[in-house]
This record gives sequence, structure tokens and C-alpha cells, in this order.
Amino acid sequence: MKVLEIKDVHKVYNSSEVKVHAVNGITLGFEGGEFAAIVGPSGSGKTTLLNMIGGLDTPTEGEILVDNTNLATLKSSKLIDFRMRNIGFVFQSYNLIPVLTAKENVEFIMNLQKWDKNKRDARTMELLKAVGLGDRVNSRPSKLSGGQQQRVAVARALASKPKFVLADEPTANLDSKSTETLLDIMEHLNREEGITFIFSTHDARVVKKARRVITVEDGKVISDEHKN
Amino acid sequence: MIFKTAWKNVWRNKIRSLVVIASVTIGIFGGVYMIAIMNGAIEQRVDSALNDELGHVQIDVPGFRDNYDIGLTIPHPDSVMEAAGKLPGVVAMTPRTIITGMANSARKSTGVQILGIDPAREKEVFSLYKSTIPGTGSFFETESSRNQAYIGHELAKELNIVRYLVDDDMLQSLAGKGVPKSILDKLSPYRGHRFPSEKSFKKEMKSVLSAREEQEYGKTIVTEAWSFRERSRMTLTFLDINQTQTGAVFRIAGIYDTKNSMYEMSQVLVRNEDLHKLTGLAPDQYHRLIIRLDDMNEAGTVSSELGTRFPGLEVMPWKEIQPELAMMTDMVEMFYTVFMIIILAALAFGIVNTMLMVVLERTKELGMLTAIGMNKKRVFGMIMLESVFLSLVGGISGMLVSEALIGITAKRGINFSNYAEGLEAFGVTSHIYPEISSTFFIMVTILIIVTGILSSVYPALKALRLDPAEALRTE
Repeated sequence: MKVLEIKDVHKVYNSSEVKVHAVNGITLGFEGGEFAAIVGPSGSGKTTLLNMIGGLDTPTEGEILVDNTNLATLKSSKLIDFRMRNIGFVFQSYNLIPVLTAKENVEFIMNLQKWDKNKRDARTMELLKAVGLGDRVNSRPSKLSGGQQQRVAVARALASKPKFVLADEPTANLDSKSTETLLDIMEHLNREEGITFIFSTHDARVVKKARRVITVEDGKVISDEHKN
Repeated sequence: MIFKTAWKNVWRNKIRSLVVIASVTIGIFGGVYMIAIMNGAIEQRVDSALNDELGHVQIDVPGFRDNYDIGLTIPHPDSVMEAAGKLPGVVAMTPRTIITGMANSARKSTGVQILGIDPAREKEVFSLYKSTIPGTGSFFETESSRNQAYIGHELAKELNIVRYLVDDDMLQSLAGKGVPKSILDKLSPYRGHRFPSEKSFKKEMKSVLSAREEQEYGKTIVTEAWSFRERSRMTLTFLDINQTQTGAVFRIAGIYDTKNSMYEMSQVLVRNEDLHKLTGLAPDQYHRLIIRLDDMNEAGTVSSELGTRFPGLEVMPWKEIQPELAMMTDMVEMFYTVFMIIILAALAFGIVNTMLMVVLERTKELGMLTAIGMNKKRVFGMIMLESVFLSLVGGISGMLVSEALIGITAKRGINFSNYAEGLEAFGVTSHIYPEISSTFFIMVTILIIVTGILSSVYPALKALRLDPAEALRTE
């Protein structure tokens, strides 16, 4: 079953003088459990596409269906709630809440969803162990390395068992060893939990790990390659 | 979770938060303490007015208050007192004879109100007797002699009953109080000199002492030079019941000091029986009955009850007798409000400013929170809670500092003796005991929370207007 369908999506930015077609008719579908990378040069429309998939931006034309729900039909407050339950986010610059510990950051969304404490604690510990930070649960982000922070971010994204995780250049700020570890962890969780990962990336190491590589240029998909 | 996060966010930028908290603390402390001083002064004024001068309820014959006609005495005062004595809340009563006249000494004369009193009953209603200046006598405690008068310090000064004397005793006690020898040397040529008034003594001192010496030791010198001529006398003249001029010599029984110069200047107390004999009034003729209650706030109720029972008499509670006292109390409440509004407005601007900065600084984070699923209500709530925490911490610490300082100074009082003359002219003592009610504290705490909430609205709205996609792109 498709967790995500992108149907002929366009995004046009109207500046005062010129119209910019950031995304120009993209159609894609993602099944559960995919590990996909969207690649392309800067300005190719990767981030715009990812923002639209994540419901942070709306397409000028076309439809985005997450689990058969058209995001455009949801009102702003419903959309936020929908995002919280169905989409996980990993950002380039980690974006953890600096005043909270690793554990508190991971359980933040579960808290918003009012999970029962025992269930929440179990899930948090399970994820933190899975990302190799079982011994750093009470560390604040400032006490963690970049790679460790990004692993906390991955744990946070997966916490409430979303349909898929969107990761915008997750390795851009990491050294190669951290990148390697992070990718291994993500791949492991992808297989373990069956959650789809969609990356936008420049990083050849990410492309190498991905099982599906979608290349975007000038707002269009120019290749969509499934590896075995 | 939102509570915890908001609380932790307050301490994210410790220095900035502490500066805001400190300014709130100082603001609240300044306001609350000022109000406590004002309140204390007014309470003391009301207290002394009721305990020394007015009583709680006064009963006269209608019209007496307008012209003090000696003939307007209360018919059957005993039955009125008996009826009043049965009312709940009435503690004591005292009958007074009141006439206007002149007080004269060898040098001067001045208009006064002569109050005929029964010393024993008077003590049950008023505590004026406690204000006797030590060494000047007592409140009619020497039974034997007829025609004694208990007068105010200001009047004693005016009539030169109190004098200023430089002698060996005075110079010695000044030395004992640490007054430097250079000053004593300047004073010693005046040995044996008597000054008839405070004014003339001060004028003379001014001519020999430097401004600094005068400022530092002037008060002590005047106090030490103060002397009371024992067995002093004065003449009181007035009209008797037949409108014939009469009068008698009165010995000074004692001098009182109430810190209300107007009262001290104008009220002379004598025994009822002396005044009755001189004026020709019968022994049971009185112009006024004064009642003391156990609760001053019951004055209105007791007055209206007595008023209906004795329609031929004028019964007035203290708030009607001296509306300016009631007005002072009301005015202080108005001051509170204006003061607190100004302080809270300053607090609000401080918080708005800080919280706007917070929202600006955390644009990216707020974008992230919206992206991962924190809805607008929660973002709004979080920013609001941060403002409330900030104002509450500042507010509570301000209140604690105020409470502590009010507690300390309420016991000792604050000495404003440098401004004594001005204050006493308004009937306010120069030693003020700051005082504030617990309801005021609760009210201020609520107001601080409300201010915190109100001042968070604008920054929180600003946070709501952020577009998450755009916010995430900011660096």
C-alpha cells in the first residue's frame, strides 16, 4: 500500500517580476518501508518538494496524499495534528530543543500526543538504545556531538511511529564516521520498524546506501532508480 | 511538558532573565514599600484621630456643631447613655461640656476650645492621657486642687509655658549625648539665659552655630533646652450661660503631645465640675456624648440605631464628623491603584520587550516545533507561560523583599523627624510604621499574573504568525 502519493505537483513562486517554477509537475509514489534519496543540485526543487510532502508548504497545483488523505483538504490546525501523527522530521541542523535532555526531546511528541507514561518511557528507551545513546539519556544537546544530536533527532522523528520520515540533508553537517553510523542506524530502524525514509541529499554516501534514488533537476524528476 | 519546557526556557538566557526579574523586583518593591509608608501614615493618623480626638460616635443636640451655643445641652444625658450602653459593640462612653474661649498667659492669648471632661470616663474612651510629656504633670491625677487644665504642647509653646533654658544641667546632658565641645563652648555664654519661645531660641542658635552644626545637633539642643515651669498657670476666659464674660486661673495639670499641632494648639481639657461651676451649667448638663466601639467600622450601624431611638439628637459616626479622614483613606486607595498601574505598566513593557526578543531569537526552533506537530494553542501557551513565570518570579521576589523590609521597619518605624514639622501640621507623626494588608499582597500577586498574561499576548501572537517552512530556513 502506498504511504505517500505525489500527483502532478507544481509549485510556482510569484516574485514581483518573474515567476519561478520551483517544482514543475512531479509525480511519485512511496510504499511502506522504502529507503529513498532525492538528489539533485542546489535549486533543483528538492527542499520545496520535501516541504510540500511534509505539509509545511502547499502546492500551487496537484495533490499530495499521505495515507490517502489529501493534505490540501486539511485546515491549518488539523494539518499540524496530522503531521504530528503521520510524519517524522529530521533537519539538517538537528533542531533539538536545547533546554531539554535527550530523553525529553525524544518523548516530546509522545507527550503532545498524551501517551501513557510507561509506554512513553519504554518507547523512548527503546529508540535511544537503538541509536546507540542508551547511556546519554539525560544529556542536553549542548553536551552531545553533532552526530549524537542527529541520532537523537532520528529517535524523535520515529517516536510516535509515523508513516514516513522526511530528512532534509541529514548528514550535511556530519563527518564521515558520524555519517556512516547515522546511516547504519537509520537503515536498521527502517528495516526493523518498516517506516519509510525519504532523504533529500547531496551526499554520495547517502545515495550509496539508499535503495531508491530519485534525481530532480529544474523541478522535474529526471530519473527514478530502484536498487536491489 | 509545556510547563516544564516553558520554565526551562526562562532560564535559557540566565543573565537576561535575571535582569528582567531584578527590575520587576525593584519596581514592585518600590511601589509596595511606598504604599506601605503612605498606608502606615494614614492608618496612624486615623488611629490617633479616633483614639485621641474624635472617638467613634458623637451625640449632640442638632445645631450645636454649628455655633457651639452653650445652651444647647443634651436633655436627659443619663437615659441616652444607658440606652447606648446596651447596644452591642459599645465599649465606653464619656460626656463632655464644650465651650469656646480664650487662653491667656502673661504675654499672649489665643482662641481655644475648652473641653469639660470626666477624667476617669475619658480614659476609657480616649488614650490622649498616654501622650503626657514626662515631667509636665499628669492627666488630672492630683485630686486636691481645683481648676486644672491639660493642654497641648503647641499651646504651651505659644503661651510661653514651655521655655528654652541654657544652664549647666543642659550643657552637661548635651556633652553626654556626644555634642562636641566646640559647640558647647559656643553655647556656654548663654548660661542662665531663658528664651520665651522655640522660635527665639532657634533664632539665637542660628546666629552662633554653623549651618552644618545646626543641622546635626540643632534638634538635640532644642530638646535639651526645653524646660517646663512647674506650677505654671494660665487664664481661661469665656462666656457663661447668661452670656456674661467670665474666667478663671487654671494650673497646668499636664502637657500632651499628640503630633497633631492643630489639635494641640486648640484643645484645652478641664474637669467638668470646674467648668460647670464657672459657666453656671447644672452638674448633669453636657453638650456631647462620645462613644467608643470595639470595632471602628461599626460606627455607621451604631449611629443609625441611636439616631432612630433618639430622633431629637444628632448622632454622627466618625466618618461624617471628619469626612477628610474618610477621604484620606479613600485617597490612599486611589494612590495605590495609580501607583500600581504605573509600575505594572513598566513591568509589562519590560516583559513584552524581552519576550519579543525571545521569539525573534527562537524563530527557527518555533518553526521546528510547529513542523513536528506542536499546534498553535500550545505554542501560544508556551510563550505565555514563559512571560507569566518571568513576571511571577520577579513579582514574588519583589513581594518577599517588600514583606521582609516592611516587617523589619514596621517594628521599629521609620524616623522622618527631619520633616516632623511639616508632617505634624497635617496631623501625621514623624515616626511612621509602614503597614500593608494581606489582601493587598494577594491583589498585587493576581495583578502581576494578569500583567504577565496580558504582556505575553503580543509576542505570542508574533510566534503564531511564523510560517514554519520559512522559520526553519532562518539561521
